[in-house]
Amino acid sequence: MDYIANGFLKALNLIVSMDMELYKIIALSIFVSVSGTLISALFSIPLAIFLGLRNFYLKKVYTRLLYTFMSTPSVLVGLLVALFLSRRGPFGWMQLMYTPAAMIIAQFVLVTPLMTGLVFNIVNKRGKLIEKTGRLLGARGIDLLILIIRELKVEITMALLTSFSRAISEVGAVMIVGGNIKGHTRVITTSIVMFNSMGDYEIAIALGLILLLISLLMNSILYGFKGDRQ
Amino acid sequence: MNIRLKNLEKKFYKKPVLNIENLEFTKGLTCIMGSNGSGKSTLLNIISGNLNYENGQVLYNDKPFTKDIYSSMTLVEQKPYMLSRSVYDNVAYPLRIRRYTNREVHTKVEEILQNLQITELKKNRGDELSGGEIQKVALARALVFSPKLLMLDESTSNMDKKSLENVERIIRNYAQMGNTVLFVTHDLNQAKSLTENIVNLQEV
Amino acid sequence: MKTKLSQIVIAIMILLSVNIYAKTESKNETILLSTTTSTRDSGLLDYILDDFTKKTGITVKVVAVGTGKALQMGIDGEADVLLVHAKASEEKFVADGYGTQRFDVMYNDFIFVGPKSDPANIKKLAPNNTKLGLKLIEESKSKFVSRGDDSGTNKKEISLWKDAGINADKQRFYISAGKGMGDVLTMASEMEAYTITDRATYLSMRDKLELDIVLENDNNLFNQYGVIPVNPKTNSLINSDGATKFKDWILSKETQKLISTFGVEKFGMPLFTPNDK
Repeated sequence: MDYIANGFLKALNLIVSMDMELYKIIALSIFVSVSGTLISALFSIPLAIFLGLRNFYLKKVYTRLLYTFMSTPSVLVGLLVALFLSRRGPFGWMQLMYTPAAMIIAQFVLVTPLMTGLVFNIVNKRGKLIEKTGRLLGARGIDLLILIIRELKVEITMALLTSFSRAISEVGAVMIVGGNIKGHTRVITTSIVMFNSMGDYEIAIALGLILLLISLLMNSILYGFKGDRQ
Repeated sequence: MNIRLKNLEKKFYKKPVLNIENLEFTKGLTCIMGSNGSGKSTLLNIISGNLNYENGQVLYNDKPFTKDIYSSMTLVEQKPYMLSRSVYDNVAYPLRIRRYTNREVHTKVEEILQNLQITELKKNRGDELSGGEIQKVALARALVFSPKLLMLDESTSNMDKKSLENVERIIRNYAQMGNTVLFVTHDLNQAKSLTENIVNLQEV
Repeated sequence: MKTKLSQIVIAIMILLSVNIYAKTESKNETILLSTTTSTRDSGLLDYILDDFTKKTGITVKVVAVGTGKALQMGIDGEADVLLVHAKASEEKFVADGYGTQRFDVMYNDFIFVGPKSDPANIKKLAPNNTKLGLKLIEESKSKFVSRGDDSGTNKKEISLWKDAGINADKQRFYISAGKGMGDVLTMASEMEAYTITDRATYLSMRDKLELDIVLENDNNLFNQYGVIPVNPKTNSLINSDGATKFKDWILSKETQKLISTFGVEKFGMPLFTPNDK
């Protein structure tokens, strides 16, 4: 039992000790997941709004498919992205394997169905009314898109935060395409796996605590938003 | 604006809901009446371009639907959707997307709010209003960009008596200024007091 | 208010992380070194690689995997240089034309570790005899955890069972983990099982394990590491120049000396012995 308590104490010590290696790991985690999520947002939000507003042939089938992709295991995404990015793969010439860019791509692929699905759901429920109101007042094209995003900004932000949480907490994809290279592609989750296998529980616990802290922050923002609405 | 309907036919799931051989709306105020299910709302939604139809034609000043027509008409529904921002910003919205300057927006919005006697609501949030207030704000939001064609679908049903008198006066004036106003209402007395032009839709 | 505050906190966090990230992501030349988990997990690479970067300006990206995967990465041209320990496979790798040449770098040795209670009584009956030791494990039905990940250690272990004439992998006492050395040691410790490990990884983790050395210093427990620059013909993207520099550096007198000092301070003995010729 002692080593757990000790682990926690040393973990707290590490967090406040300005250990540069630890901070680098945290910084890269945030950088990779924020980038992956934001790039995905640029793509998924307009797509989800388009899909949510339109009625098209076999919409229900596509929706089902989208919901299935929402829960794709991250290792599978990692594997697929690795196949494309490795030196022998079709995009090998870009030399992205084992770089943060590869990790961002993997997380982009991972969260895009999730974010698209979440936003699609919201737009499906409330989007048509907003669209009609906008059209009746003369909005078209980009104005209409902005209007819908602004009207649904609370829900869309929640979808964004949910996607970010998924991105920063997944380990399978970044492990495969990043390779957990010290100082380059080592993030919180891959380090936890590695330090655990090395028996370095203190630093593993420290990183776990930080991951928890980030989740806590995300949740308090979510609650903040919900509070605003009431 | 002149609206002409020719052999207009609309079906929902193969059941006909609207069948108009020939109908024309001209400048001024026209009230549209008819029993529930006679297709009054459907008609306004078709004219406003929000609903397509199987057969026939809708002509605006003898021309088909274009972008210009699109931005010079509007429809106010019975339960309008309020944007989740202040009443002022709700009313300003149609002007802003038409790229009016801030000063123009300010003048026009203040004027219309005063006309409809809702100036004191201007800082309230659009999605926190009562039914009657929403209807007044929606009307202001429609009138503010001076649409050539204004369609009202039971848009005064929740207003109190005092507001109603004021709003009816505004609507009458607006029609007299050379605009086309189509007003769907249940209330025959209201219709009669507003205009002599009353169209009765029969159930198909 | 609350939302505003957390928005500010987030903005600061993101800016800081981009900042730190931008500072650390060097624009230097890099080589990709594919190696076994034992060199990383024991801390050797952290100990010596700074010297290489200082001398050549080349950053080494270390991908630590099992030897099987490391060799496969060489075959696929995914890595520039390999540092692995499965001599037979390595020689085949070079003979097949995937590597330019193979050089001995250093060695350490394998040891058998097991629970302190030593249920198979190996410590007493077979402290230096691998064949007998494995027979004792089989006879006593004591648990044995295997890496099961096609790593150099795994390959070594399989050949040892074969030499002892035991068909271990179908038997109930034999647990194939599919994990790295550190994980397997932790598992063995938790399950009170025996396992085979390189001495370096065991020593670096000894404090966290409930495992003792039960068998060591047999002639066939020798663990030779080799360095192989990957043949640039396997892939046009290979940094052959950097790989050659890395090979020259790791075989240089100074680096070999550096290797021989690793672990002395902490364990009182070197973890790896350089093949100084």
